[in-house]
Amino acid sequence: MYSFRYHRAASIEEAKELHTTSDEGAYLAGGMTLIPTLKQRLADVDDVIDLGGIESLKGVMTSGTSMKVGGMAVHNEVAANATIDALRHLASGIGDPQVRNRGTIGGSIANNDPAADYPAAVLGLNATIHTNGRTIGADDFFTGMFDTALGDSEIVTAVEFPMPSRAAYIKFPNPASRYAVVGVMVSETNGNVRVAVTGAGTCVFRASAMEEALTNEFAAESISGISIDSSSFNSDIHASAEYRAHLVGVMAQRAVSQIS
Amino acid sequence: MEFQGESNIPAPCQEVWDALLDPEILKECIDGCQEMTQVSEHQYLAKVRARIGPVRTTFSANIQMVDVVAPTSYTLEVSATGGAAGFGKGSASISLVDHGSETQMHYAVNGVVGGKLAQIGSRLIGGVIDKLTTHFFTKFVERWTLQT
Repeated sequence: MYSFRYHRAASIEEAKELHTTSDEGAYLAGGMTLIPTLKQRLADVDDVIDLGGIESLKGVMTSGTSMKVGGMAVHNEVAANATIDALRHLASGIGDPQVRNRGTIGGSIANNDPAADYPAAVLGLNATIHTNGRTIGADDFFTGMFDTALGDSEIVTAVEFPMPSRAAYIKFPNPASRYAVVGVMVSETNGNVRVAVTGAGTCVFRASAMEEALTNEFAAESISGISIDSSSFNSDIHASAEYRAHLVGVMAQRAVSQIS
Repeated sequence: MEFQGESNIPAPCQEVWDALLDPEILKECIDGCQEMTQVSEHQYLAKVRARIGPVRTTFSANIQMVDVVAPTSYTLEVSATGGAAGFGKGSASISLVDHGSETQMHYAVNGVVGGKLAQIGSRLIGGVIDKLTTHFFTKFVERWTLQT
């Protein structure tokens, strides 16, 4: 680890102020990616600004038509309190108990790891991302590998999920890390079908051919013949790009079967 | 991992070629490049600040131009070290086709990384190379397309 200054912000305004005045500042949410990266000396930052002391970023709240999750809500909190079954299931399958007690939804989506679970939930359920300054739609939020629409000092304050009529998330987990080798979120909200895929490509994406087929007929058979272009997919010792493409179809069909 | 692409640039071949050899222009087009110095006719030293997800580290790169056929093609061989983060090696072959007032540029880029970077991120290397390549050539082409 390289040395850095640690700050524990008491409010969003203070956190932003600290970040803007730092030459190279990093927000600390759950630290499930940042801390290992610092320990490995893969990052050298001047200031680490801990958001853990900001009460307004915590909690899960459900109103009639939507569910709002605070940016600093940890995975276990969502696993216990979410009123969307698919989201509860997704959160309970992230990492291990230690990760679920520390890792946060805001940290996960701001980092936008290509294999993280939450981006599939945000895109697949068409959530709205609230930050300290604006709201961003799910379709505009994830812009590329580890890239988001967030500005340099912007903080995810909450993620708001509309209540779906039905939704399911199925992933093929890496057996060691539980990261998604491929994960698929399928949902239907007011007649709109969404299929979001994580783990396969360099960034979460929507499988539009599957969405169309499911809009015509919501059944696993309607997407069984759809082939996925794997040319830009990730490839490593765990799974080749072609295998990941195959898994997209299998995971999507399993998700559809669960809710049709 | 190899990436290929091509772009059309609204400028004569010689002008594009000169730009490709200009350390100031290279510096502008490489994402995170802080320094670029020419040490000999076909050799450059660069400092590049990589910001990819949680990784933020500074690489020192040695860039050598080989197989230079002015003004149509060359290959860049790049070797970079990032201290504790690891090292990277790659090459980029660029060729230009003269169409009078326009120039067509082809490129093929490949690379490998070693050390800690490779341990934690092997599945991501393709994406990183793609991202850096796209950034470079987009910026490079914008030099002409944004002027008009």
